Amino acid sequence: MRRDKLRRLALPASLLGAILLLALAAPVLPLGNPVSQDINHRLAGISAGHWLGQDEYGRDVLTRLIWGARVSLSVAVSATVIATIVGTLLGILGGYFRGMVEIGTVRMAEIVLCFPPMLLALLVVTLLGPGAGTLIFTLAILFTPTFARVAYAETLSVRALDYVTAQEALGARSGRILLRTLLPNIAPPLIVQFSLTIAAAMLLESGLSFLGLGVVPPDPSWGLMIRGARTTMEQAPLLLLWPCLALTGTVLVLNLFCDRLRNALDPGTGGRSRPGFLRRLAVLAGAAEQPAAVPGLLAVRKLTLEVQGPTGPVPVVRDVNITVAPGETLAVVGESGSGKTLTGLAVMGLLPAAVRVTAGQILYTGRDGRTRDLLRLPERALRALRGRDLSMVFQDPASSLNPLLRIDAHLGEALRAHGQRQGIAARVVELLRNVGLPDPESRARSYPHELSGGQRQRVMIAAAIANHPRLLLADEPTTALDVTVQAQILDLLAGLKRSEEGMGMVFVTHNLAVVAEIADRVAVMYAGEVVEEGPVAEVFAAPRHPYTAALIASTPEGDAERLTSIPGRVPQAWAMPEGCRFAPRCEHARAICDQSAPALESPAPGRTTRCLRWKELA
Amino acid sequence: MSAPLASDVPLLRAEGLTRSFTGRGGLFRRSRPVVAVRGVNVTLQRGEALGVVGESGCGKSTLGRLLLHLMPPTEGRVLFEGEDLATLSGAARRGLRRRMQMVFQDPYGSLDPRRSIGAQIADGLLIHGLADAAGAERQAAALLRQVGLEASHATRLPHEFSGGQRQRIAIARALATKPDFIVADEPVSALDVSIQAQIVNLLADLRQELGLALLFISHDLHVVRHLCDRVMVMYLGRVVEEGPASAIFHSPSHPYTRALLAATPSMHHRAKVAPLPGEVPSVANPPSGCVFRTRCPAARPACAEAMPPLETHPNRPERQIACWRAAEIEP
Repeated sequence: MRRDKLRRLALPASLLGAILLLALAAPVLPLGNPVSQDINHRLAGISAGHWLGQDEYGRDVLTRLIWGARVSLSVAVSATVIATIVGTLLGILGGYFRGMVEIGTVRMAEIVLCFPPMLLALLVVTLLGPGAGTLIFTLAILFTPTFARVAYAETLSVRALDYVTAQEALGARSGRILLRTLLPNIAPPLIVQFSLTIAAAMLLESGLSFLGLGVVPPDPSWGLMIRGARTTMEQAPLLLLWPCLALTGTVLVLNLFCDRLRNALDPGTGGRSRPGFLRRLAVLAGAAEQPAAVPGLLAVRKLTLEVQGPTGPVPVVRDVNITVAPGETLAVVGESGSGKTLTGLAVMGLLPAAVRVTAGQILYTGRDGRTRDLLRLPERALRALRGRDLSMVFQDPASSLNPLLRIDAHLGEALRAHGQRQGIAARVVELLRNVGLPDPESRARSYPHELSGGQRQRVMIAAAIANHPRLLLADEPTTALDVTVQAQILDLLAGLKRSEEGMGMVFVTHNLAVVAEIADRVAVMYAGEVVEEGPVAEVFAAPRHPYTAALIASTPEGDAERLTSIPGRVPQAWAMPEGCRFAPRCEHARAICDQSAPALESPAPGRTTRCLRWKELA
Repeated sequence: MSAPLASDVPLLRAEGLTRSFTGRGGLFRRSRPVVAVRGVNVTLQRGEALGVVGESGCGKSTLGRLLLHLMPPTEGRVLFEGEDLATLSGAARRGLRRRMQMVFQDPYGSLDPRRSIGAQIADGLLIHGLADAAGAERQAAALLRQVGLEASHATRLPHEFSGGQRQRIAIARALATKPDFIVADEPVSALDVSIQAQIVNLLADLRQELGLALLFISHDLHVVRHLCDRVMVMYLGRVVEEGPASAIFHSPSHPYTRALLAATPSMHHRAKVAPLPGEVPSVANPPSGCVFRTRCPAARPACAEAMPPLETHPNRPERQIACWRAAEIEP
């Protein structure tokens, strides 16, 4: 991954190197004198001796372009480097120490922002006289506050992170924290700012030279060349083109370079995925209508989901079978990476763009008694089901409500989307009362931020049951909540199961105790497979898969002196074991477990397990 | 290691710790200080494990940072082996940091994403001059093995590890300077159940091996019980109950502790009691009198008058409780 990023850096780096080399090598290149005039051939076109023609004084344009690059680049680069160093220093000090230091650094720098840049430039040039040195000084002053602000903002956000506190807890001096911890972590936005500023500095240099405030003629600079060419634009339009081309090209190369450099410095993986609108483009082929062979509400058959891995497609969910009967609650339980959330999202047709359905059926029996395969249903038809027949409650109630909309707008939208037109306000209040929100009339007019986490989750649940869904999918709905609030929400969901007649529920969670609290049946997932399924009480009393048993044993409950832990960790999707996926961590594994993948077996009516040795272990 | 001291001086002692933050004022509203922790006393002996339990907003994380002096208390003081951390010079306090360390909740935010984990583990050794570069590298490798990782991992960056592995790395970093005291702020709540058990057991083993004193902050009484000798239950910035972990776990006294235990779902029985009504009130605007009275099933009008002090339980001398009705509830 890192090598790939460095390779992507090679092209802009070599282009930038070529530009710099050309400018540096100007004195040794076989070029003429950039200021020697040849009035006889003023405005002459392209010729063998003058590849880009001659300007209004007959000077060679190519020579002046390359010599001008020296001036333009050195002014822009030195001014930006100075601004970066000074601005970053001010910003990082102000952001880290706050208080008086902040006033002395960032706030002082901000005063410069109050002056119109051109006015400030004019002032400095008037005081110091035109020239390259003045120009660098002016530009550095102009750009310093921007860097100070960026560095300040970044320092504030990085400083709040635990790894900075960890350095303080280690006893590190402030200097060490600033240099070794803060600076590398605030660098990426500063690099972007650097590339933008260098481009802006080159343009401003051109502008100031153009106004006669920067580089003094006859010294060449791109700005002066543009200025000169403008007067003779009618006779020799090409003269304007060359310096503009040089300026634009250099700016583009710089931007590209800094962009790639920032990517290369980013330690993350940075995967590329398809945009969201292509999400359900790959609907499986085949008829959506299915004979009503399955009694019940939902039957997921042999569902397999894939993502594109580094070396080809990788199955993240494999051969998953689950069923939900009307009025039943199925808990899908597993650790992170088990595929439990993806299975839930597949039912809703809301899989992330990177995940592809490759096989299976999701059979849903609607109110009309007809059974459809959701994987083969067109998006339009599925959208009509979503929010009415199928609805969902998410883990994080803080980010699933739009902060700009009032609560009644959220709920009203859910009702209107499925055809209700009248009595919406009354129904909203009724819904809020049903989910136990105190004072529903005034709560309906509140914004999400005025509610607590538990209350927001109640609103999410109200939205989910607004249209009396047949199937409610709850993805870790209590994980983000406090224990006492979690108990309330579980209580509410249990109550809804009684009041919403026939509503089935799929409850995705990692918490076995919550499963015991809420579910009738449980499907235990591990590494993309359902390894055991059955009634909760039976499975927990006598697990028939070693993973289920180990998971139960590692739950901190009861009086055991020591917790039983499962060694190792869930295998990565692209490095799945050949045989049983749990075998490397299983204390009962035998040689045979590593060789063949176990099939689903039924140890008792209504139960399944994916273990070769369940009989011996029982 | 440390100079021999009179055995009656506890490793860590905090007296009347209070921390308030400046509240957010509006255009027409005076800002009111938000008191995150109020009047908390902590005593921690060498090698002792103290659990701090409570829901969000109870001030448990703030307490952990106050004890390490990562933020100064508004009132009260923290004594480490009898020395007041606030009166020490900056250099002396930095020196003491070698002996007290911290493990954070979020294994993704607590490691610098841009530096190799070996370098981060070696930081403490280099900062305190406990080893030269080569020695620090060797010790970092040994620490990685001690927490169950491989020495060859030292050159990798944090993003190459899973959450559980990162938490092991963070523990290795905290152990590097051979501290006497570690604050662990919800170190397992971001982890999967099976991994959670690994980390809890690792902490228990290390504590045994190294004689560490541990302040273990958690919202889960079950986890605390497995690891700690004593437990402090906090609500809205106050300690409401304190005592031996297993005793409190088996028969909680304070109505809040009872509710907390009853609300924790269990695999073995479904909840029998109705969940506690309402949610934790805002710290910025706590109830008058007893902070828990707005949700307390045992509250009486008298509870609104004053906050009960944390005192020895009238009928259970091994524990302390802050409840006006303690004697009536448990005669």
